[in-house]
Amino acid sequence: MTVEKGNETVVHDLAEAVRAHDERALHALFDDASTSGMTAPEVRRALIGGLEEVRQNLMSNDASIPDFLLSLDRVTEGLGRLSRFPGYDRSSVEDTTVVIGVVEGDPHDLGKNVIAGIYGAYGYRVVDLGREVSRETFVKAVVQEGAEVLALSAMMSTTMVVMRDVIGEVRIKSPGTLVIVGGAPLNDVLAQAYGADGYAESAITVLEETERLMAGS
Amino acid sequence: MSEGSAGLLLKAFLKGRVPPPGLIPEGLLYGFAGISSARSHLSGLTNIERLITTFCHREPDHVPCFPMISGAGRRLTGVSYPEFSQKPEAAAEALLAGFDLIGGEAVVPMLDLSIEAADWGQTMVYPEHSTPHPDYADPLIKDVDGYERLKRIDFKKANRMQAMLETCRILVREVGWKGLVSGFAFGPLGVLNMMRGANHLFRDCVNYPAKVLKAIEAITEVAIEYVEAQCDTGVQAVALDTLFASWNGLSKELWEKIEGPFARELANAVRRRGCVVVVHNCGDGVYFDSQIRFMEPEVITFAALPDDCRDRKELKQKYGDQVVLMGYVDTPLLSYGTPYDVMEECRRQIEDLADGGGFILAPGCEFPPNGPLENALAVVKAAEMYG
Repeated sequence: MTVEKGNETVVHDLAEAVRAHDERALHALFDDASTSGMTAPEVRRALIGGLEEVRQNLMSNDASIPDFLLSLDRVTEGLGRLSRFPGYDRSSVEDTTVVIGVVEGDPHDLGKNVIAGIYGAYGYRVVDLGREVSRETFVKAVVQEGAEVLALSAMMSTTMVVMRDVIGEVRIKSPGTLVIVGGAPLNDVLAQAYGADGYAESAITVLEETERLMAGS
Repeated sequence: MSEGSAGLLLKAFLKGRVPPPGLIPEGLLYGFAGISSARSHLSGLTNIERLITTFCHREPDHVPCFPMISGAGRRLTGVSYPEFSQKPEAAAEALLAGFDLIGGEAVVPMLDLSIEAADWGQTMVYPEHSTPHPDYADPLIKDVDGYERLKRIDFKKANRMQAMLETCRILVREVGWKGLVSGFAFGPLGVLNMMRGANHLFRDCVNYPAKVLKAIEAITEVAIEYVEAQCDTGVQAVALDTLFASWNGLSKELWEKIEGPFARELANAVRRRGCVVVVHNCGDGVYFDSQIRFMEPEVITFAALPDDCRDRKELKQKYGDQVVLMGYVDTPLLSYGTPYDVMEECRRQIEDLADGGGFILAPGCEFPPNGPLENALAVVKAAEMYG
């Protein structure tokens, strides 16, 4: 005889599986969640709850980047399976569009990938343009997608200068779009000098910075 | 002092080079540093006197400075980045131009971080105005089984590493007693990162550590040959870059398991040749304690405070007696600050870190290749004025 788990237990275990980036446990727990009648928003909250704990641990250096990446993988997989649960409505979650990419000439996309994953997990609609993205491609995507946020990444001091041109062009073609920049050779002073609205010191602080910008503060 | 060491010392002197400090009997070295420190109250020291005094944690006339002009040097001689990276004569000329025109006590060919990976067979991209890098769309290690397929390469046929050795030979010959020349090698995990990509490697270190370790073992075997050969060119130090021993890389526990023991082998190989072991870092929250435990370096370069220090004063207090601290002017400041801003930041760092010796003023990482060279001059000037 199998004993059905209560919703609270499943929520706890789902979050724990994300924290421990335990793929096998997560698969089994999805069956439990389904059996116990959980809704898509409930499952989503459980997954994000686990990720949020890892993110907070990363901010306090009690977790490492590999830990966070693997937990993010579990959440991304989990979110991809939400459609089988009642109450699933993708559009109600993804109400803010973020266009993201690494600037031209720069092939380093780890930070960008983490940020894109975080945005996706926390309910943003993400248009990921990849790496070595030209100014024209950024501008076109921002306009076409009606992006509220443009997130630019550069990891080299030789490529970060491109950001200024991209931001200048976006200001003309899509003045309402908020621009946030990040990457190893940047800091807040430089971000401001380039004309960005915000600066994400790390992939982990990008959410707070985006929320601050969206709130207009 | 062994007969072998005496022979190597004599050979260096006869060739007009500074011998590797590790070959000099410790008593003699510290005596020399003490005399230099005392003499610095009366007259200026030579670059070598200043460095040896600093290595021995005695106060020189002013703090030594290493502006880390590498890729930026190519702008002084008008060579392209691909030439700088691949032609030893062009690289040496650019680096020597940086040393002569900008100043400082040392020169190091930090050409790029892909030298070893290119020789392992990684497809490369050589941009005209930017640092060479792997073609990340075509990684050499495409899946987790690729780690075990990595077979040892013939070091003698490794073109880019051999070109680096030739660059070192030229620098040692031309710099002579004017300063110190350091070699440079990427740690095995860094080399692997160039062939697999951080996106996958970070996950693989957690999920498939045994497979990753197989590749690390193969890379380390060649890396030992590489650093030994660098030492044999006559350099006095070798910088080892263990980028992933930081918050930007693996957890401390995982780094100690995956790269620590292999980094130790590399450091020991450098030390056996009498050269100074320098650990180069450009990450945040570097694991100084792990690096010291595994590599026992004489010098640690850093771009940000280590993970266990809240401020510069704590850094000096905790590690100032154990290693020579080398850093750590911010890359964005060097890229876009005014020379005056740069000098002010250098002054603050000197005030906090130079007391009692054991500090070298330097950028946190390579001077930005396309950054304003007047800011490099400002670093050198600050060392002379405030040090």
